Amino acid sequence: MKCEELLTYLSEYIDNDLEAELLTEVRKHLETCHNCQVVLESTKQTIQIYHQAGMRSIPQERRSEIFARLKDALDHCKENPPDLPHGM
Amino acid sequence: MPDDSHLLNTLKSDQPDAALEELFELYADPIYRLALSLLGDPAAAEDVLQDTFLAVMTHIQEFEGRSKLGTWMYRIAYNFSQERLRRKQPDPLPEEDFSEEEGFSFSPQALIDWRWSPDDLLSDKEIRQILEEAIQKLPESLRVVFLLRDIEDLSTEETAEILRLSPGAVKVRLHRARLALREQLSGYFTERLSKGVQG
Repeated sequence: MKCEELLTYLSEYIDNDLEAELLTEVRKHLETCHNCQVVLESTKQTIQIYHQAGMRSIPQERRSEIFARLKDALDHCKENPPDLPHGM
Repeated sequence: MPDDSHLLNTLKSDQPDAALEELFELYADPIYRLALSLLGDPAAAEDVLQDTFLAVMTHIQEFEGRSKLGTWMYRIAYNFSQERLRRKQPDPLPEEDFSEEEGFSFSPQALIDWRWSPDDLLSDKEIRQILEEAIQKLPESLRVVFLLRDIEDLSTEETAEILRLSPGAVKVRLHRARLALREQLSGYFTERLSKGVQG
């Protein structure tokens, strides 16, 4: 297996989503290829950083206001409910 | 995605409002993040959040339960966000076809090993800013897949259902998103290492 080919399977390798035969080939290549090891580890690191960082949640100071606004809107829309978005 | 069958029972009962607070606790943040990631505007994301919860509360009897409640909510929020995007840009540029892996070649540029402890990294404001900028630079179609799969931890199948894609297309988009983000972060960390700043 060449580096270029390995890269196409990188994401599935990370997700443990490769069939046994391919998995063996990927592992064999990784044992001897430093560059692919670096790409693999830094891709895993990228995923881990984002996972841990999460993304911005609702700002704490907005949370109760948004909920109050929602309850109020709900009380007012029961007679005339809003449409579902296009594509539902 | 959490098991929300008890919530669904309450929502379909004659006292649906009793489930509102728990529904909000469970789904307000992920729905907000999805809308914010697509629209890039906190006020618009709040509006999509409200529209989504109102739609769920008033149309719950139409929910047939073929998917999880959470998947249905994500899908409503995704479609409301798309409606807003279309209003903002009625004729968007055609999306690249991500359905096939063929033709995609990737040559990693930065091969520096920058493994540092995420805990150290995340306390750094500059890095949080870099993470945010890098993800916003992704095409929307890749960004949303990365968000649902790698940040919200949804499965390939759930993501495919929300976005109405095949599982194969989800995998291809996720692969490209991950490599593109890795490339951007590697560029940043390589520069940082060359300046001698540690994590």
